[in-house]
Amino acid sequence: MSRRRFFGTAFAAAAAAGLAAEDHVELPFENGGRPLVRYPQKRPLIRLTSRPPQLETPMEVFDGGVLTPNDAFFVRYHLAGAPPPREVLVPGAFRLAVKGSVDAVLSLSIDDLKSRFAAAEVVAVNQCSGNGRGFFRPRVPGGQMGNGAMGCARWGGVRLADVLKAAGLRSGAKQVLLDGLDRPPLPGVPDFVKALDVEQALDPDVLLAFSMNGEPLPWLNGFPLRLVVPGHYGTYWIKHLHEITVVDGEFKGYWMDPAYRIPDDPCAHVEPGTKPRHTVPITRFNVRSFLTSLSDGAHVGAGAGVRLRGIAFDGGAGIREVVVSDDEGRTWRAATLGRDEGKFAFREWTLDWRPEGKGPRELRVRAVNRLGQTQPIDPLWNPAGYMRNVVERVRVHVS
Amino acid sequence: MNVPTCRIFRAAGALCLFAASWSMVLGDAGSVPEEWKLPAEWVQLKAGKGRELAAGQCVVCHSVDYVTTQPPLGRAAWTATVEKMRAKYGAPLPTNSVAPLVDYLVSAYGKPDAPK
Repeated sequence: MSRRRFFGTAFAAAAAAGLAAEDHVELPFENGGRPLVRYPQKRPLIRLTSRPPQLETPMEVFDGGVLTPNDAFFVRYHLAGAPPPREVLVPGAFRLAVKGSVDAVLSLSIDDLKSRFAAAEVVAVNQCSGNGRGFFRPRVPGGQMGNGAMGCARWGGVRLADVLKAAGLRSGAKQVLLDGLDRPPLPGVPDFVKALDVEQALDPDVLLAFSMNGEPLPWLNGFPLRLVVPGHYGTYWIKHLHEITVVDGEFKGYWMDPAYRIPDDPCAHVEPGTKPRHTVPITRFNVRSFLTSLSDGAHVGAGAGVRLRGIAFDGGAGIREVVVSDDEGRTWRAATLGRDEGKFAFREWTLDWRPEGKGPRELRVRAVNRLGQTQPIDPLWNPAGYMRNVVERVRVHVS
Repeated sequence: MNVPTCRIFRAAGALCLFAASWSMVLGDAGSVPEEWKLPAEWVQLKAGKGRELAAGQCVVCHSVDYVTTQPPLGRAAWTATVEKMRAKYGAPLPTNSVAPLVDYLVSAYGKPDAPK
């Protein structure tokens, strides 16, 4: 098929669906061309894949504030039977089952959750384990995302702990399994089920969320109910959550082992190109920070003041400090931290910068959390492309 | 046509204002999304020997952009990927189709092996 005919067909198909492939972006790595596509309840987002849908947030969105708007929030699914259809999600059909090693099996509607349990809220970052995988060198297979598979929202719902207590955990209970309504396309494909240890499931920060930034969850972000595990990678934040099963043993499903595992090493890395000898399940975010007010290639006036702005976050200790360098890391200046929305949220930072001289300049940003953990100057590597947290560099031109 | 109700409201400003205030009073707690239709899949695989095999097999479980957005992977990585689809994801790919499928993926979306 010729290139012209290919695009003609593409646009005809998009037009027939009442949608348009509005635009196109080039992520800054080889084969990084992506369409910007509008999905239900979403503004045009960077599409990685269409079945199941995987959408990335353009970086400029993060310059708009610490809460990522629902219509810009990234989307990540694993199974082609996703997202689940309307019929199984609407209030008349949807129930959350709580079963297994419990005293009383529960079947709850969203209204039941709202009326029977205390409301709880948390501002928390969700981030894909493979956020930034496209930047790995050497490249690794998997979803080739830039840094837009992250977002921060105010999640509202009830505590998982309260629901588990209402069901009554039996004495042998060890893990809590979480399953959503997204379904495998074939019987041989492992269903997407994740496990939390009971102690973690009882953590009051872990929510069953039905609202996001004051609105019901968007369809593609888990309507009507999802798990929120603040500080932990998105793989645990099961969407369209409909079944909670308490088990006495350790769950060995595919999505816990061998999938979503990292080298058993404090920095989750191995020598590039090699395989880890021992692995453990991925858990908490490491420290990350971004400059959001300028992007690669931006022009800045020499001698003129410019306010740099960005975000930082970590796995739940909270951000203590953000520093910025404009001389390739020789000297660093402390940025001013913005309002604290909680230890799981994006933390805004600002710094007034007056570039001297003319020519290309590289800006680096680095955060330190309250445990003293920070970001490596050089990238760390692992074969799955997880947990990128190198000090990011933005190249601007002073003129 | 899959025009979201909200857009119609936007076209009629007064109605939009009404809808917004109504939802603020009642809250959105019981509301459900208005759109339930996804955009069409439209990415095509590159031409080449084995394209029909790839088009027939890979799309059983996912859209072809899972293939087309990969970095240029070598033969070992494409072989491991195809084997993972068979062994871990239950892809019903006949044994004698593995080699031709890998050949296609390497030639269309791969890179030549480094000289030994």
